[in-house]
Amino acid sequence: MKKVSLIVLSIMFLGLMITPLAIAEKAEDNYKLYCFQCHGSKGSGGGINAAALSTAPRDHTSATEMKKLSDKDIFTAIKEGGAAVSKSTFMPPWKSILTDDEIKDMVKHLHKLCNC
Amino acid sequence: MKSLKILISLIVFALFLSVGISNSIADEKDGKAIVDSKKCGSCHKMQGPPDKTIADVLKRKAPDLFYAGSKFKTEWLEKFLQKPTIIRPAGTVYLNNIKMGDKKDEIGDVKPCASNVSAKEAHEVTEYLMTLKEPTMKTGVIVDESFSKAKAKVLFGQKEGCSGCHRDKADSGGTSCPTLYNAGERLNPDWVFDFLKNPQKYDPKIWMPRRELSDEDFMLLAKFLASLK
Repeated sequence: MKKVSLIVLSIMFLGLMITPLAIAEKAEDNYKLYCFQCHGSKGSGGGINAAALSTAPRDHTSATEMKKLSDKDIFTAIKEGGAAVSKSTFMPPWKSILTDDEIKDMVKHLHKLCNC
Repeated sequence: MKSLKILISLIVFALFLSVGISNSIADEKDGKAIVDSKKCGSCHKMQGPPDKTIADVLKRKAPDLFYAGSKFKTEWLEKFLQKPTIIRPAGTVYLNNIKMGDKKDEIGDVKPCASNVSAKEAHEVTEYLMTLKEPTMKTGVIVDESFSKAKAKVLFGQKEGCSGCHRDKADSGGTSCPTLYNAGERLNPDWVFDFLKNPQKYDPKIWMPRRELSDEDFMLLAKFLASLK
């Protein structure tokens, strides 16, 4: 009996260890909290910080602009920041907040915004 | 005779010290009572843990105060409590205060905390708030004020793009995050260093991601912010 309890407890402990500390959020919600500030509520680059940026934030609704970037570039820009893909340093690296899966969902969300 | 004088001096000194400490403890207790009676906790989180989901962050009405004693400078806090000002141009959670436009968003109506207190109360509340510490924060990290302003400016403005979200001057810089042009008056440089190293330790969903910089660069930024007054 003791052995069974021990096994159950061990499994529970392992489960806790594996559970990520951060809770996965929907791409729409991540976009609102983290991207609106520069890219704006419509995604067209009109965020409240835009005027302070020497490089205009990318217009996520422009298919022409968005098609210039591969999914890999977009993923890297979000994860590692703009500088990692030779873009603006005002785009910070989001990997301390967004998981790889959340970033993959964000790439899909951006495709919806540009309809491309 | 000489040793008697020394003994009396020591007793007087100890008495002064104990009166000082007991006054401070009394102020702390009074400060806690004021915080409770004014219901500061209805807007500010007075105890951890921090919010862990976006849904909870969006319910936030005012900044977390459960590490206020690590974050703020005593003198600034005491003055601020008597006459609160706007530190975050777009409010505590910018997303809750923007007017969404077709082409661009604008900041809506943002007001400072309406709950000001008297000078005596401010002193007591400050005594209490300064007891609320982040236990893992190292103190005595930023020990001198010498740094290269030129290097710091490049790091702040160009390499890390901090001014994109923070106002480093009264009339320039971003607005979604706290103003920094008076950071030197407001913030404890040791806390700035600790926060910069991992903002998500204090606030897992805060819209300021962690940068991978050396301790030397984090220290440079902390010293630079300490110089903004």
